Amino acid sequence: MFVTAPYLELHTGAGRGYPVSNVVPRDESVLVLFRRTDWFKVRTRRGVEGWASQRDMLKTVLADGSPFTFDLGDRAGFTSHRFELGAFAGEWGGATLISAYGSFSFNSQLALEGTLGQYLGKYSDGVVGDIGLTHVLVPEWRISPFLMIGTGFVHIEPKATLGEPANRTEQTAYVGAGVRCYLTRRFFLRAEFKSHYIFTSRNQNGEADEWKMGFAFFF
Amino acid sequence: MENGIRVLLLTVALAALSGCATVSNWFHHRQDARDEREQAREDAKRAESPDDDSAPRVIDPTVERRKIRVPKIRSSNVELGLDFGALSIEDFDTNPVYGATAAYHVTEDFFFQGEYGRSKGGRTSFETLGGSIQLLTPSERYFTYYDLSLGYNFLPGEAFLGHGIALSSAFYVLGGIGAVDFAGDKKFTVNFGAGYRVLPCDWLAVHITVQDRVFQSDLLGVTKLTNNIEMRVGTTVFF
Repeated sequence: MFVTAPYLELHTGAGRGYPVSNVVPRDESVLVLFRRTDWFKVRTRRGVEGWASQRDMLKTVLADGSPFTFDLGDRAGFTSHRFELGAFAGEWGGATLISAYGSFSFNSQLALEGTLGQYLGKYSDGVVGDIGLTHVLVPEWRISPFLMIGTGFVHIEPKATLGEPANRTEQTAYVGAGVRCYLTRRFFLRAEFKSHYIFTSRNQNGEADEWKMGFAFFF
Repeated sequence: MENGIRVLLLTVALAALSGCATVSNWFHHRQDARDEREQAREDAKRAESPDDDSAPRVIDPTVERRKIRVPKIRSSNVELGLDFGALSIEDFDTNPVYGATAAYHVTEDFFFQGEYGRSKGGRTSFETLGGSIQLLTPSERYFTYYDLSLGYNFLPGEAFLGHGIALSSAFYVLGGIGAVDFAGDKKFTVNFGAGYRVLPCDWLAVHITVQDRVFQSDLLGVTKLTNNIEMRVGTTVFF
């Protein structure tokens, strides 16, 4: 990369609070080693290493004069990105739920998602997991709704003091809807509702509603 | 009746005629366009192969445009590590704890962290005084926790070792939710804490973290919020 701004500041660490230890003058080149969050570790031609901010790296060009472009992690990235990770707190069938999810987007609207969670209830504890498809209706909106459908499992561990101590695992299917709201940088809030249908080996199948809200980020 | 048929036929004939005229015109236009294209192609060919009487080129531009391929820039945002420390389980003594952490640095300020740890509760004062009373079975004394936390880096700076070595460092605060499995029961926990991270090199970090896990317990007869403070030292590697 070639510096086109009057100079490029190199910090001692990957953060704006770390002091500037070196500067690279205009027209000199730097080698990008790797990236951590919004900072690039670079090496100058004289072998000096330091961290350059994303904002400063936007002012560098490639050897053919074209601008150096990279994933910025901004609002455009919220509309269209590859991966998402997040954590939720909520309720599963009346019990407290903690869960985490990961998502892979095929395009800006359709994504494959997997969720793993634990619910902690009065009468039973358990693990819930599911995998399914999510369709974001209008991905370019800051607050954008989405629909979900998929299948999963629930592992139920009844509390030992009650009459039915045997643990059991059942298959589930769900439909759901939610909304995601862009906050800043790579972060967004996500709130969703899933209606689970539990296929049991007993006479009656079960149902459970899941409400949750959490923080997530994309990359 | 006859009149009507005639009018109809005439209309059809008129429509067909005008249609034919348009179509023939169309073909005419297409022919024109084709001729023009051919003419242009011939001109271009002539321009490409200069005749003998045209002036020779002084400079033959042989400069090739450089093709730049930008290699994929490696991201190093994931931090994985192991830690060891001491955990004070309320009413159950302070005991060694060992665990693992995984973090993803989203921005320079914020990171998400998952923690897992295991310890073993000691004897309560009630058990010690009561002689042979056992409140929990040995397997119920294991204290296993996991958390999902959000961390915020603040006070970034450098730690100096002697004259020549400066290591980048930061304080951070943590807060999140999780679950703990203790005394044969799983409980929802809320955690908060703070830590200090020093990076001896870009891929390695050493942490000292103090974290409190709060959960509701009714083990000793009364339902109360228990605070379980942990201090641990850990090493993590950035990927």
